[in-house]
Amino acid sequence: MALLELKGVRKIYRQGQIEVPALRGVDLQVDEGEFTTVFGPSGSGKTTMLNMIGCLDKPSSGTIIFNGKELNELSKKDLAMIRRFNIGFIFQSYNLIPVLTAYENVEFAIRLINKYDNKEIRERVLKILAAVGLEGMENRRPHELSGGQKQRVAIARALVKEPKLVLADEPTANLDSKTSEEVLKVMVKMNKELGTTFIFSTHDPLVMDYARRMLEIRDGLIAEDRRREEINVSD
Amino acid sequence: MFLTKLAIKNLVRHRNRSIFTSIIIAMAILIYIFFDSLIGGMSELSYETIIDYESAHLQIVDKNYWEAKDELALDNLFTIDERVLEGVKNLTGILAGSRELNFSALLSNGIDNLPVMGKGIIPEEYLKVFALEKQFVEGDIFQPGDYKAVLGKRLAELLDLGVGDYITLLVKDNNNTFNTIDVEIAGLLHTSNPNVNQNIVYLPLDLAQQALSVGEQVSKILIRIENKDQASRLAEELGLNLIKANSNLAVYSWEELEAFSFLGAAVLEKQVILAIILVIAAIAIINTVILAALERLEEIGMMKAMGLQNREIVYTFVLESTGIGIIGGIIGIVLGIITIWFLSVYGMDFEALYGVDMASFGLPILGKIYAAWNPAAFIEVFVFGVLVSLLASILPAYWAADKDPVESIYHR
Ligand SMILES: Nc1ncnc2c1ncn2[C@@H]1O[C@H](COP(=O)(O)OP(=O)(O)O)[C@@H](O)[C@H]1O
Ligand SMILES: [Mg+2]
Repeated sequence: MALLELKGVRKIYRQGQIEVPALRGVDLQVDEGEFTTVFGPSGSGKTTMLNMIGCLDKPSSGTIIFNGKELNELSKKDLAMIRRFNIGFIFQSYNLIPVLTAYENVEFAIRLINKYDNKEIRERVLKILAAVGLEGMENRRPHELSGGQKQRVAIARALVKEPKLVLADEPTANLDSKTSEEVLKVMVKMNKELGTTFIFSTHDPLVMDYARRMLEIRDGLIAEDRRREEINVSD
Repeated sequence: MFLTKLAIKNLVRHRNRSIFTSIIIAMAILIYIFFDSLIGGMSELSYETIIDYESAHLQIVDKNYWEAKDELALDNLFTIDERVLEGVKNLTGILAGSRELNFSALLSNGIDNLPVMGKGIIPEEYLKVFALEKQFVEGDIFQPGDYKAVLGKRLAELLDLGVGDYITLLVKDNNNTFNTIDVEIAGLLHTSNPNVNQNIVYLPLDLAQQALSVGEQVSKILIRIENKDQASRLAEELGLNLIKANSNLAVYSWEELEAFSFLGAAVLEKQVILAIILVIAAIAIINTVILAALERLEEIGMMKAMGLQNREIVYTFVLESTGIGIIGGIIGIVLGIITIWFLSVYGMDFEALYGVDMASFGLPILGKIYAAWNPAAFIEVFVFGVLVSLLASILPAYWAADKDPVESIYHR
């Protein structure tokens, strides 16, 4: 069974009298463990789609089934609980909490799921920070980190609770190409090691090389859905 | 736990703003403590000045006399027989009693007149009940049988009189005929009670009784007791003892005097100040929460994306505000203690500061007011300040927590 299924998903934003259709009927299935890129120009509807998959927004019509549950039927509280336990977010602007250190930003996410004792939490946080290449920087505050490092913290934060799905909305848009590559490699590596399902959006053609599945989105519709052979990413 | 830690980190994040808000709350608390102790000080002082110089703790009076006691009429007086004295003596807790005959008179120096209140007293008894002995600025008390009087220095000054001068009191006796009493001034008083200073003339009781043709009768017996908080209880017991001797007599405690009613007004004043604190602290806190929330919109959005419930986000804001309230409370209490300490040692001279005579406000106070310690008020206002900080933050915190995370994160 697919981890995620979208059926005829539409989203219309209303700006006063004008209706802006952001998604115009999206059908999609994503299986567990997939590493998918959503590619398309600015304004094509990538963010809108990711936010609806991530339970942050609701479609105007159509259904989304995530992990066997139909999201339409759930309350705000239930949706928050799905995000808390099953979804990790990575945003373009990192969105770390400035008063918390790298370690604490990651710790925050794992504390929320109330699953591990203090010792285990510590081990897991340190391990994931090391895995994203931030060993020795645990005690730095966000303002003491570079853009790439901040995004690594955000990746660690999204992954530490071992969610079913990680949604990354243009995670490399604020990074230079070298750093972008590094961050993408980290995501690919985590996908391989942990089997976490990733969906990330981008409008940068270079970034697409890292995906095994590529969805091209244009004017709120999926224009192309391609799969490729396993790609090998060297460290 | 983690949210608590986050709230504390947020509290020190904008140190200046947190401190500024704390100080506003501290000032509001300080104002309350200041007024509370001043009102406390005034009450203390006025209790003392009235009890020590005018009312004593208990008064034995004819019931009908009490109804119209301000008229100083000569009907409804009473004679003291053995049984009345027994009733007084048999009660523990009573220190001393003194007879008093009150009358109205016109005081004259031969040229000018002033209306005064005359008091016929027996010095030996009277000085055991009232604290007059050390208040003589000139001369001394008279002896029974003397044709002498004692009055306030202020009153004497008004009529250009001094010790050794002669005065005339014009009175209306029990038969409604006018009579005069000519006496020499034996001593002048200055107390903290303005009434004593400018309204009262003391005479030997026998002299007054004779001039007013009232025989052996008196208006009151005034009683000093060991502990002023026992006044009501003793008044009741003494009342029961006296009923056997004279069923018209009743015993009243100092608390029943109208002069103390202004303290009710003081309580009201305190509530007004509490309301002002409430408004000030609430505005400061609401303002702080809104500023913080606007600044942290993105973070709040991220926290919601991470699956935090609204109430968890509200909790961090409320805790932060409570922290500000606690800091403000502590600062306020510390400043309060310093201020009260200073004012309890050095006092505050309203006359010197503002040129106002407290007596003209109906407060029987002269000279300095010393702040009174009231630890209960410290605790009350601290709890109040913290509670207001906590409650005021809830609504703006919900406003912040309820923002759409997509809009916050994407600045839409
Ligand atoms: N809150 C909104 N109100 C109105 N229009 C919106 C809103 N959010 C997105 N849109 C519009 O929806 C379309 C898709 O936007 P978006 O999903 O952000 O695209 P992308 O992420 O691919 O750039 C755009 O035309 C955008 O202007
Ligand atoms: Mg976008």
